[in-house]
Amino acid sequence: MKRYELIVIGAGPSGLSAAIEAAEAGMQVVVFDENGRPGGQLFKQIHKFFGSKEHQAKVRGVRIGENLLAKAKDLGIHVILDATVLGIYKNKEVSVLIEDEVQNYKADAVIIATGAAENMIPFKGWDLPGVMGAGAAQTMMNIQGIRPGGKILMVGSGNVGLVVSFQLLQAGCEVAAIIDAAPRVGGYGVHASKVTRTGIPLYTSYTVIEAKGVDSVESAVIARVDECFQPIPGTEIELGVDTICIAVGLSPMSQLADNAGCQMEFAPGKGGNVPVLSETGETSIANVYCAGDVAGIEEASSAMIQGKIAAAAIARDLGYIDDIEFAEKKTAYAESLSKIRAGMFAPGNKGKVFEKTDEGFTISDSLLTKGYLSESELSAFPALDASGGTHIVIECTQNIPCDPCQDVCPAGCIIVGNTITQIPKLDKDKKCSGCGLCVGVCSGQAIFLVNDQYEDGYGTVGLPYEFLPLPAKGDVGKALDRSGAPVCDATVVEVRTNKAMDKTAMLVMKVPVDQLSSARFFKAAEGGN
Amino acid sequence: MSQIIVRTKTSEPFVPLPDDDLIICRCEEITKGEIRKAIHEGMRTLNEVKRYLRAGMGLCQGQTCQRLVLNIISSELKIPGGELGRITGRMPVRPAVMEAVGKSTEHSEGVERYDR
Repeated sequence: MKRYELIVIGAGPSGLSAAIEAAEAGMQVVVFDENGRPGGQLFKQIHKFFGSKEHQAKVRGVRIGENLLAKAKDLGIHVILDATVLGIYKNKEVSVLIEDEVQNYKADAVIIATGAAENMIPFKGWDLPGVMGAGAAQTMMNIQGIRPGGKILMVGSGNVGLVVSFQLLQAGCEVAAIIDAAPRVGGYGVHASKVTRTGIPLYTSYTVIEAKGVDSVESAVIARVDECFQPIPGTEIELGVDTICIAVGLSPMSQLADNAGCQMEFAPGKGGNVPVLSETGETSIANVYCAGDVAGIEEASSAMIQGKIAAAAIARDLGYIDDIEFAEKKTAYAESLSKIRAGMFAPGNKGKVFEKTDEGFTISDSLLTKGYLSESELSAFPALDASGGTHIVIECTQNIPCDPCQDVCPAGCIIVGNTITQIPKLDKDKKCSGCGLCVGVCSGQAIFLVNDQYEDGYGTVGLPYEFLPLPAKGDVGKALDRSGAPVCDATVVEVRTNKAMDKTAMLVMKVPVDQLSSARFFKAAEGGN
Repeated sequence: MSQIIVRTKTSEPFVPLPDDDLIICRCEEITKGEIRKAIHEGMRTLNEVKRYLRAGMGLCQGQTCQRLVLNIISSELKIPGGELGRITGRMPVRPAVMEAVGKSTEHSEGVERYDR
């Protein structure tokens, strides 16, 4: 039997962070992962993360994964892949299936960081090929480089559904619609807005009732639902799609904790059956910890911090760090965790409906029901600057934990403050230099650079653009409004890219001045790019 | 299972529904109708339905259907999902060929489970 001081099960964000923290304290660590590649879901997260600098905000998930792996390698952590943990026994013995053979390991402590699996909803035809989890579709396109389908229906408007829809567009798929049975959009308004402005319709209070097809999906039937989520007869719409992606939440993969004998609880707010944990993530069994989604569904940023807290607690228990050092670490990590767990979408606010922001602004009804802001509702928010010349328009209207815009502005125009869930506002005394960095770094793609004095009768809108091939200067097309409807002709006058914007381009398009407040996306003319 | 399972909570006679042929457990191909019938025949928890029908005993070990079966039992009996237990997590928590488990040479004293 091989011995380690710490066994970490799962090489995702939480498990790797835990392993690194423990190895840095001097512990001997082994990490098992049943997949052929490490990183859990990080390597398919090609979008930029939210949060603050300490949470690696504005860094794409895939890069966070690369950094974690490089660090683990530097520290000499053993990451064993294609290694499926089959069971955890008394005295922290762990059976692992490696290459058709069960090997037994033993450790002083175990961290279970097995993550979560996608939920499904049953409907007629849901077992046809072409119906898949949104996460599965994301793995296909972002890891394996295969388009999951040609034309897609996305079921679920949480962040997973919205982000994957955007990535499907990036991969060259067509998204027929995003639907949600709830009367409101589930995910961040900014994620919804970046898909709706491309022209994807978002239907709230709709569910999928049937997948039709002989050998695979040929169409999907959706229908409006009543308050009890029952389909209303006569409201059916048939969409010609070949793929139906399901993004209706995740369930913790907590079987190993159950198998180890940890006390479990059924917690709908955490996604299902989860182990009962102490504040450091320890289960009812001493030195068996859980961290990340297995402990309750959140996101990668908090999973990484949870992993570090668990590993620090173990390092303290095994004598690698003293009580004082542990207390310092714990305070710092807890603070970081409370920052990222704040705002309207915090884990404790699941299902809650907010009518006003912390600042007292009325949340846009259009954003919540259709996925995009209406101009009249937007005008009530503080980040609109009507001053002449080049100015910033920030369309960030919900309290979400994120502040890279504040850090990146060299002129200091954007104020979020220390509470990173605050809605950004503009410092009217500072002058925007027009650098466009804020447009490029905003993880929610919610910042626009507007110039109302470009030439007589025309102005420009600089918008975040993440589709390839990039349009070129001189390309013509249509400017789309927030709902994705074409409003006027547009000409690309500049496509700005730089390292700080990390592959998000700022596309500057020329439109008539009276469309400056509505034009938010550029669609190249047919035949062009 | 710590709580007493209410066996007296029998529902009205089994009434077939139009979507009874819907497959719920894809691995073992168990339909909604079979699960509903099992409930009317006295199954009350996830583990009972699992043992009765094999729903949740296939390749995914209930990772996909556990929640769906739970919802069916819950709505059929009007009992909150939290009271219906869970599919017991036990070794092997992932499918493994018996030969591989048998190859395990170094089995130590520690194969017993923690006390519940």
